[in-house]
Amino acid sequence: MTFFQVWAESFRAMLANPMRTMLTMLGIIIGIASVVLMLAVGDGIKAFINKQLAVLGSNLVLVQADSRKAVGARLKTGTVQTMTIDDAEAINRLPSVQGAAPMLTTFSQISFGNDNSNNQVQGTTPTAFAIRNLRMAKGIALSDVDVASAARVAVLGKKVAEQLFYKADPINQRIRIDNQSFQVIGVLDNEGQSFDAGDIGEVVMVPISTARVALIRTPTPRSVQYIIAQSRSAETLNDMVADITDLVRDRHRIRADDQDDFRVVNFGEFAKSAEAIAAGLSIALGFIGAVALVVGGIGIMNIMLVSVTERTREIGIRMAIGARPSDVLWQFLIEAVSICLVSGVIGISLSGALAAAISATGKFDMAIGLKAVVIATVFSCAVGVFFGFYPARRASKLQPVECLRHE
Amino acid sequence: MPDMPTNDALVQLTGVRKSYFSNRIETPVLHGIDFTMRQGDFVAIMGQSGSGKSTLMNILGCLDTPTSGQHTLAGHTVNTLSRAELAVLRNRTIGFVFQSFNLLKRMSVLDNVALPLLYGNVSRADARKRAEVQLAKVGLSALAKRQPNQLSGGQQQRVAIARALVADPTLILADEPTGNLDTHTSNDIMNTLTELNRDRGQSIILVTHEPDIAAYAKRLVRLKDGLVLYDGPVREGLHQLQSESHEIGAQDAGSIHPQGAAT
Repeated sequence: MTFFQVWAESFRAMLANPMRTMLTMLGIIIGIASVVLMLAVGDGIKAFINKQLAVLGSNLVLVQADSRKAVGARLKTGTVQTMTIDDAEAINRLPSVQGAAPMLTTFSQISFGNDNSNNQVQGTTPTAFAIRNLRMAKGIALSDVDVASAARVAVLGKKVAEQLFYKADPINQRIRIDNQSFQVIGVLDNEGQSFDAGDIGEVVMVPISTARVALIRTPTPRSVQYIIAQSRSAETLNDMVADITDLVRDRHRIRADDQDDFRVVNFGEFAKSAEAIAAGLSIALGFIGAVALVVGGIGIMNIMLVSVTERTREIGIRMAIGARPSDVLWQFLIEAVSICLVSGVIGISLSGALAAAISATGKFDMAIGLKAVVIATVFSCAVGVFFGFYPARRASKLQPVECLRHE
Repeated sequence: MPDMPTNDALVQLTGVRKSYFSNRIETPVLHGIDFTMRQGDFVAIMGQSGSGKSTLMNILGCLDTPTSGQHTLAGHTVNTLSRAELAVLRNRTIGFVFQSFNLLKRMSVLDNVALPLLYGNVSRADARKRAEVQLAKVGLSALAKRQPNQLSGGQQQRVAIARALVADPTLILADEPTGNLDTHTSNDIMNTLTELNRDRGQSIILVTHEPDIAAYAKRLVRLKDGLVLYDGPVREGLHQLQSESHEIGAQDAGSIHPQGAAT
């Protein structure tokens, strides 16, 4: 008997008991659908995290003055501004550092014509644009010349630009920041949460030198609120943290047994733990799906055993007219695999539809990847073979004489 | 035996014994059967329940193997074959006709008839063609697409005969083929078998408990308690059977004609 004929037989057997076949398939359909969906959820979470990291900029640390004990009372972080532009420049020169930018921030009233809003203003250098992955939607970014000349220029976050200018072109328009005139030279393309300023779309960026003279009073002419620095790669992130710590301790003349007067906040670590959580979640979700699949598989085994018993006489007849034990084994095995494969296809379609429905809500992106489809198909075949083998083998071991006597 | 077409032994049983074991307790059923059958013979096997008739039938059909003794079929030593080899041998040399027809449900009449060819690795198209020819021979071409349960008993048995013949077997084994049929249909079926034997030299073994049915055969083998009681021409055998039942009297007549008894 050819493979195709056995296949056709298996479908005939499945159709003979449509209700039972459907119920058996349901177990596998749910199992396969949950495996595929769980894989998609895992991928979705990973993609979501990656998207967030892209906004944050990767491999970043933030160096800020730590609270210092003043007469026994611990003051608020940043109250004492011990970090300076010179620290930032020194950090920028470290071999393990890709780039470092000093930051001064404040909340200011931004106004254009009759519109105004309250936004964070960040005073920084061009380096910040590179290490934070900031792209321009329009115009140009801050330049070294702007910083050197304390130019009254500003780059607007996307939402700020929309708020003040609607659809009009903001480039070269003059806005007022805390009642001082600034020329808009660019609009950022980025959106999403940043680690230090909420939504990056709601930030206004100006040269740090301009911020110091026009907007933010600092304890010393060179002090900054914090410095952001990027390592050359994810692998060297921890080395960079060590280098920065050594350098700043040295520059701040902190003795070996004294505490740091600054701290390094490692966003790379956050990213890493977020990825670890996502990976763990993927495995846990996949495991739940696998459990559902195994339960479905046991259902298949159960039904196949019933089917073998019910069809004992049929097995006897087939053997009498020339079916070898291996023919009987294949017949039942292929029947189990067919049930699983059909269920697999239905399960994949079902999860695809569900994923599309979830994505359509716009809250979470879910896509059924080719990988998930291949894994699910292989799994459903494997379940069929694994749970179908025992009943099939039992059928093949039956004695024709006894089968023919069976009513 | 006067009218043997060839001298080749198609079936040869030598000292065949068969015991069943349950919990290591041996229950002997066949006590040493010697039986030879030549090509073209038409043998009826008779015996009361418990005579070993069914067991002998299973051995002759290669569905079971003897506990000891020699069994050859069409030149093959059956005792030494594996289950798979037995299946191939059954497929190529034996056509079964059962009391309860044993057609497969869910399959059309045509597919039922073609099935032995599929197990014999004939292509589906060829198998269907040959099955159609065979169905035509038993006069059921019109019913080819029906399901077995839509047919009468007699029609089902004709389909079963077509299935038994489709692979050109050297031996037809008919186990109580008329057991579930009325007298008229029984005669039809028996005439079909007789014609096959007469016109095509088809070798047939017929197992029955009815003397009327056995009378269609040429040769009779009677079994009693696992031994051959009579082996010879059918007319003398049945005559002997009849006189035995007269001698024993009316109280035993029922066991010679055990109506509806299982075989």
